[in-house]
Parts: sequence; structure tokens; C-alpha cells
Amino acid sequence: MKTFLFDTLHNGLGRVLDLRRSQHTLTVANLANADTPGYKAKVIPFDTVLSEAVGGSEGVALRQTSALHLDAAGMDPSRADVEEIEAPPWSVNGNSVVAERESMRLNENSVMYRAVAKGVSSRMALLRYAAADGKSG
Amino acid sequence: MDLLDTFGISASGLTAQRVRLQTVASNMANARTTRTEDGGPYERRMPGFMAEQIDPFGNQLDRELSKVTITGIEKSGDDPIIVYDPGHPDADEEGYVEYPNINILNEMVDLMSTSRSYEANTKAVDVTKQMAGQALEIGR
Repeated sequence: MKTFLFDTLHNGLGRVLDLRRSQHTLTVANLANADTPGYKAKVIPFDTVLSEAVGGSEGVALRQTSALHLDAAGMDPSRADVEEIEAPPWSVNGNSVVAERESMRLNENSVMYRAVAKGVSSRMALLRYAAADGKSG
Repeated sequence: MDLLDTFGISASGLTAQRVRLQTVASNMANARTTRTEDGGPYERRMPGFMAEQIDPFGNQLDRELSKVTITGIEKSGDDPIIVYDPGHPDADEEGYVEYPNINILNEMVDLMSTSRSYEANTKAVDVTKQMAGQALEIGR
């Protein structure tokens, strides 16, 4: 049975928050290592990972055939492919961190995090409204 | 990896850039130093940086994260610049003085790059703080 509270969208939002946090930490690590020789910038490829996280019903997902099974629908926050950006040939020390790109990613990611957090909040507000029998506040 | 642990990574970046700044400052201050404790002129120094995994036994994502550590401050090993200046107290018998091989322009560029990197790390701290705040706001 599908409930409003724990449907795929709800779990998907949680997963996206996790991923955004991971992406944030990766960007911070990239910035800290902006001058480390040989360091490769790391990113989470969001376009592929997100469709997997939210569109779990469309893709091939593992089905739970017993109540004891762990949730397998891509909800493990530790499971995400991380891409390494190769250093361009003109890079002097083999470092592929571009400060501007990382700074942009930092801001973009923060905005997206806020947007998703807001989304979770509004769903909760809706739930609270329903639980309070339609009386707001 | 907790959002608050992210501060540690930024802190490592800030420390690394501060040490780099100190090294650049030392290079600039000693651009004309002809005598050191080891004998001979001052040699240009620079810090070596290395990416160090934070949590080698963590989950797949945590293993991708590295902070920056300073491996040491190395001397450049460049040959000194030899200038003919017989009046100098450190001149040899033939009147030549060994000056450090330091190009002030190079140091200035390094200084600017250090300052920008430091700024980027402080910005990262700010954004982390913001995000942690937003996480606390969920459900309000």
C-alpha cells in the first residue's frame, strides 16, 4: 500500500538531500585541494543519479519480497558514482580543479539544497494540515 | 560524512594556504638575503601539498573525500644569481656576491593565487554553515 508519508517522492527527496550534501562535501574537498599536484576534481553526475533516485519506479528496481528485506530502491546514500575530471593537457601540475567552476557548483548546489529542503518542508506542512483536521496553525 | 565534518576539509585548505602565504612572505622578505645560518644565500622555499583521504575505510563516497596536508617546506634548489659587487660584505675574493634566485613577480603572482584560494575556502565554510542551517529549518 502506498502512503503519502513514505512514497517514492518522499524517499526520493531525502535521497536528493543526501546527494546534495555529498556533492557539497566533494566540492569543498576540491576547493581545499585546488593547489595539490595531481589532484583530480570529483563530482557527482546529477543527471544520471537523480533519475535513478526519484524515478525508481520506471527503471529496473529490486523488489522486496519479504518484510525483512532492506530497502533496496537506490536509497543507500553511500551508493553514488563519483566522476573524476581529467586534468587538461595545459595543466602544469596535473591538477584538474578549476576554482571558478567549483565556486559555481558550490552556489548552485546550495540553492538546490535549499529548494529540496523547502520541498520537504511543504510536504510536511501539508501533512500537518491534514493531521490537524484542516485547521491551520 | 556529516555536514559539520565538512568544516575540517575547509580548515585543512585554509591552513595549507596560510602556510603557503607565510612561505611566500618569507621568500619576498629574503629576496636579497646573502647570508644564512647554513652559509650561502637564502634559497626560495615552497610548501608541498598532498591530498589525504579522510576516511579510507568509510563508504564509497567518504573514500572519495580528501583534505589537503602539507608534506613539508622544500627548498627550490635553484642556482643563486651571481652579481659583481666588490663592496658587499659577503663578496668573495674576486668581488662576486651570490644573491637568492627569487623573482619578485613570481612571488606576487603566487601571493595573489594564495589569497584567492584562501578566499574560496572561506566561502566554502560560509556555504556549509548556510546548508547546515537550512537542514535545521526542515519542517518549520
